[in-house]
Amino acid sequence: MKADLVVDAKGLACPMPIVRTKKAMDTLQSGQVLEIHVTDKGAKNDLSAWAKSAGHEMIDMIEEGDVLKFWARKA
Amino acid sequence: MKKRVAIIAANGGLFDAYKVFNIATAAAATEAEVAIFFTFEGLNLIHKEAYKQLPLPEGKEQIQQGFAQANVPSIPELVGMAQEMGVKFIACQMTMDVMGLTKEHFVDGIDVGGAVTFLDFAKDADITLTF
Repeated sequence: MKADLVVDAKGLACPMPIVRTKKAMDTLQSGQVLEIHVTDKGAKNDLSAWAKSAGHEMIDMIEEGDVLKFWARKA
Repeated sequence: MKKRVAIIAANGGLFDAYKVFNIATAAAATEAEVAIFFTFEGLNLIHKEAYKQLPLPEGKEQIQQGFAQANVPSIPELVGMAQEMGVKFIACQMTMDVMGLTKEHFVDGIDVGGAVTFLDFAKDADITLTF
């Protein structure tokens, strides 16, 4: 999937993946797609909950070994 | 309208600090308006010197290594991040008077206020937490 911006939050613990994701999302325009890479297992639910409460659309999530990759479209 | 999160920080250990600042930064990252009222031992969490070396619970000192291994940010880093994201810090005036502390003892950018200052913010809060 083509992303407008990629956030590398691998190796970071809560709440850093969310903080990095929020900051990156702030730089995008509505409709653009953010790709997020994390290794924090808690982020799996956290990022979905974050997207929901911030109103962004979580498009997809895949696991590649230890890395979780998310794609979210800005509201 | 933005969600509003009101937090009372009344304890001054390292665990308390993580509970307070992780929730606060996560809430701010989720577009919430966040204020923390620091009272009694909670003032340690924003004290310029104390917040660099907050105590672990007795008998749990070995957990210090766990924090480093899990790549958890330091408390000063979390405090800076929280402020950068607009989290409002209110230090309790009464506690400061009792403990002989002034605004200069604390990190920059804090407000000093009484219980009513916090209550005025908290009365419209969607979530209120005490640590």
